[in-house]
Amino acid sequence: MADRSAALDRTPLLEWIAAGLGLLLLAGLLFVLGREALTAGPDQPPSITIRQQGVKAAVNGYVVTFEAINSAGGTAAALQVEGMLARPGHEPERSVATIDYVPGHGRAEGGLFFAHDPRGAMLTIRPTGYQSP
Amino acid sequence: MTALWDSDANWGYARGVARALAGAVLFGLPLLMTMEMWSLGMNVEPRRLALFLLANFLLLVILSRFGGFEPTSSVTEDILDALAAYAIGMVASTAVLFLLALANTSIPPDEMLGMIAIQSIPTSFGAMITRKQFSAGGGESEEDQEARTAGYAGQLFLMMAGALFLAFNIAPTEEVLLIAFKMTPWHSLALAGVSLFVLHALVFNVGLTGQEAAPEGYGAGRVFLIFTVPGYAIAILMSLYVLWTFGRLDHGDLASVAESAAVLGFPASIGAAIARLVV
Repeated sequence: MADRSAALDRTPLLEWIAAGLGLLLLAGLLFVLGREALTAGPDQPPSITIRQQGVKAAVNGYVVTFEAINSAGGTAAALQVEGMLARPGHEPERSVATIDYVPGHGRAEGGLFFAHDPRGAMLTIRPTGYQSP
Repeated sequence: MTALWDSDANWGYARGVARALAGAVLFGLPLLMTMEMWSLGMNVEPRRLALFLLANFLLLVILSRFGGFEPTSSVTEDILDALAAYAIGMVASTAVLFLLALANTSIPPDEMLGMIAIQSIPTSFGAMITRKQFSAGGGESEEDQEARTAGYAGQLFLMMAGALFLAFNIAPTEEVLLIAFKMTPWHSLALAGVSLFVLHALVFNVGLTGQEAAPEGYGAGRVFLIFTVPGYAIAILMSLYVLWTFGRLDHGDLASVAESAAVLGFPASIGAAIARLVV
């Protein structure tokens, strides 16, 4: 035992600090992962809502940027987003975009191109499908 | 200043540079031939890339002291060697990118610059650590080098360098994200446990200073607390830093950040554990 306490006495301060910070970070990581493991339901499908961000003029028309917000735990891969632009007296204009990933409880951004100005017209953007990663 | 015209010293330096070029290509090739890396220079936020290049430079300066491509004794020399390593890394990156037809004269200059800048990180690292890999005996004895790297802070630094290098080699690919999405939180917990175990086994049995056993008077529990736990923390921090640099943490919640860190932390902790063998 005397050997052991002597060894502890010789432990430099830096080793204590490093060990302490390391333990703190490790505990934090395990806490976050463990909480997720215990609370996440089995095979939750993603639940996507699309929030329109704005309209900008593009070279050949207009671009509407949007944010796909996933409120469920499951990840959506290859998310298809469809925009439908309805103007009175005209054929509706359709645009699609594919978002690589929207992580569970995460978000991703994208844009849709339209030939006509969506401002003042009726624009609906909705997710149409995804792939499980 | 007598060394300025000394033909032996200049010849020795030239041979060091040639070896460093070979090391730059060797350590850089996996990323030079990774598709994501060709466009990453343009996609990474410029300020984050600049910060990473700066951090890499500091790493090279310190690494130069731990076994760069020529023996050093002053900070000035370390800075000169780090600059040389960066230059060699850029030359090697540019040459290989042109050789593989990935770079050509029709690419806009700023895009080309980004491409080379991001590739110069692994190649400059390769250039710097080549001395240990390619030379049978350097200008200084092995004991001198051992003495410089034996300190605890030195050990942690080497772990950091090893973790950063392996994390950087894997992080650019989309697979890291995909794996994190495929894994359940239980997989992540298991992976974190395995990473800790592998790191501990390597540290305890291989020995960080390249010696056969753990430091004298250090039991398994103490090695775990003093080396393994901080080592894994360093691996996780380096993983997070690299993922943040590449913008991979911007859109996820805390849990998905932790999962990505656990995925990249696995190779990073192995990199941390074997850093002493490589550097």
